[in-house]
Amino acid sequence: MAIAIERPRVVARRAKRYRVQRGLAHLLTYLGLAAALVFFLGPFFWIVTTSLKGNEDFFAFPPVWIPPDPSLAHYVALFTRSSGARYFTNSLVISSLSMLAALVVSLPTAYAIARWRFGGGLLSAFLLVLRMLPAIALIIPIYIMCKMLGLTNSYLGLVALYTVVYIPFAVWLLVGFLRDFPVEIEEAAMIDGCSRLRALVQVVVPIIAPGMAVVALFAFIATWNEFLFAIVLTGIETKTMMVLVTSFTTGGTDMFYGEASASVVLGVLPAFAVAFMLQRYLVKGLALGGTKG
Amino acid sequence: MRRAALVIVAVVVLVGLVALTGSRVPSVGAARPYEGQTIRAVVNAEYVKYSLTLVEKDLYDKLGVKIETEVIPADAFVAKTLLEFNSGTSPWDLVMFGPSNMPDYGRHFEPLEPWVEKLKLDFGMDDIVPVFAKVMLRFQGKLVSMPYDGDIHIMYWNKVAFERADNKKKFKAKYNYDLAAPKTWKQWDDTAEFFHGWGWDGSDRKLFGAGASYKPSGSGYSYHWWRQRFFAYGGNYFDANMKPLINTAAGVRALDEMVRTMPYYPPGVMLFESEEPKTLLVKGEIPLLHSWTSTGKRVGNPAESVIVGKAGFGLVPGAEIDGKVIHRPAITPGRGMAVSKYSKKKEVTMKVLEFISLPDQSLKIVMDAKTIMDPWRVSHLRSPIFRKAFPDADKYLDAIEATFPFLVPDPVIPAADEYQRKLSFEITEALAKRKSPKEALDNAAVEWEKVTDRRGRDKQKAQWGEKMAEMKALGIEYQPDWAAKAK
Repeated sequence: MAIAIERPRVVARRAKRYRVQRGLAHLLTYLGLAAALVFFLGPFFWIVTTSLKGNEDFFAFPPVWIPPDPSLAHYVALFTRSSGARYFTNSLVISSLSMLAALVVSLPTAYAIARWRFGGGLLSAFLLVLRMLPAIALIIPIYIMCKMLGLTNSYLGLVALYTVVYIPFAVWLLVGFLRDFPVEIEEAAMIDGCSRLRALVQVVVPIIAPGMAVVALFAFIATWNEFLFAIVLTGIETKTMMVLVTSFTTGGTDMFYGEASASVVLGVLPAFAVAFMLQRYLVKGLALGGTKG
Repeated sequence: MRRAALVIVAVVVLVGLVALTGSRVPSVGAARPYEGQTIRAVVNAEYVKYSLTLVEKDLYDKLGVKIETEVIPADAFVAKTLLEFNSGTSPWDLVMFGPSNMPDYGRHFEPLEPWVEKLKLDFGMDDIVPVFAKVMLRFQGKLVSMPYDGDIHIMYWNKVAFERADNKKKFKAKYNYDLAAPKTWKQWDDTAEFFHGWGWDGSDRKLFGAGASYKPSGSGYSYHWWRQRFFAYGGNYFDANMKPLINTAAGVRALDEMVRTMPYYPPGVMLFESEEPKTLLVKGEIPLLHSWTSTGKRVGNPAESVIVGKAGFGLVPGAEIDGKVIHRPAITPGRGMAVSKYSKKKEVTMKVLEFISLPDQSLKIVMDAKTIMDPWRVSHLRSPIFRKAFPDADKYLDAIEATFPFLVPDPVIPAADEYQRKLSFEITEALAKRKSPKEALDNAAVEWEKVTDRRGRDKQKAQWGEKMAEMKALGIEYQPDWAAKAK
């Protein structure tokens, strides 16, 4: 009898302990996540608010976390005095064109490798090896070559270079997707009268869209954030946003904290926006391409 | 008849010549003689670009010229600009550069003197502070640039810390001498130790002992801080045979002191560039700082400074040798402006260089706190407007002027930038306690030898020989015994 009464109590005690432990685990998990969020997003939050602050609030103590009268004055100054609009447009044009060019060139290359084992089984791996060359080792010969071809301070020079630099990774990723793609579907399309090109464009591409989104995303972000080639090959008309950001943030952090912060925000936002738009493809695409490659 | 024809021909030729000359050199008296022309300038920071905007309206009104300015970030500036120049071209007409890199840049600059004669330019050479005129402007004896930023270090202190009776009493009891703005590095270190970690302003805040910038970037912050001690202890960059002297007793003592006193500086000092310690000073969180002269303009700006009218200005400390204090503040490193040899608009660019260097125009640039440009003309220091620009501005300008006779230039030889980077990196290795001071400086010396060999020892030796003679004329020589006896 005593045992029968004791058992529900033990069970209840255990359930309670379990609930407490689970609650504690959740609490710790959320605390950890919150700490991580503060750690990673805190600096960005500070940059965003600084870009909206008045000059008198930069060094205020206690710190002004949220400006009482947020203003876009620093963004306006960035766009007027520091040619921010021009640099922003340059980055947008160069990154978008490089992304498109990388896709256009990589897809047929990857298709040839995947379907006909063009270049043997090692070509895609060999292409990837090209990515391992440090950019700094190439910068002088590339500069001389571009100078001789009249490609310095031009969109074409940077877009061509970024496309070439990015192709190996794009091909390597796409080969994985294409090898995974059932060749029977493609053959069915061709039996129905499609040419190989049409089958590729109308049948294969829509199905491997997540993979192409990954390629596009990486190409865009990589070119948007690229600094070394941009600083060497661009001139006054073609400078990119990353060069502008760095001109505010090196060599004696200057007095233009507001414009510097505004440039960082604008420098980060487009890449962030593209990543956000394509994020659902990103995990799927990476998982597929990464494991089947 | 024949004579009349000759006269007519002579008159026609004369008129033609006048017209030709007139078309080549637009009359300066004419309004906007270069209307419609735009020149391209290259600078290394947004604040330098901003500084040019301060004169752009007057420039346009007077000459009709516009400036389009490209900013190349400081850390990439030397490499990028020299890459362009060494390819035999330049997209820029007006070029900003660090005078310590003159040996690498100089051959790409257009000599000024022929243009001075041709265009009747007046650069006001007599008004330039002598030390800048002597060490910043010439390449192989030819005048090729004008100063733009007279960077030097002076010392700043918060008088609140030094004048509180309590503080004086405590300091005297601990160190057995009176609390005052330090004159020697020993006194500086004592003062930093004394003030660190408590509310020396009467508050209960935990304040810091002193400020510094120890980031090992391209601008070589830690190097500038080290070399002012190093030279005061009798050091020099090389001997006559290009053997580095940076790892001698003077260098090791200087670095050892910096490492030992690290705890008295704010956390993060190893990442500080120029502006962070200035902010700490004007916010009343450090009592002492030696830094660029532009700091004074922030000190005097009531919008951000809590020490307006409460700051002292003076010489960077030195070392007491045989009863005399030897000061060795640094030129750190300044900026110059020159006309590119490859420019297709040399004439108009010369006119622009003259214009922005005019006493009244350059005064606008060096007075504005946001430019971080520092005075380089005697007339800047004596300007009644500047001397009343903020409380104690006159004392600040007097301190700058008092510093000029003691200044030590950078090693102005080819690859100056490389030597500085290598040394700055090793200094920070020691400050981070990854290497001992001796080990770090030995490594830097090895790196310096490599740079010298790569650039050609004989060539470097010849260039250094000239600079060593210049420094000797300024009273700066290697003194091997000073490190031991400096107080």
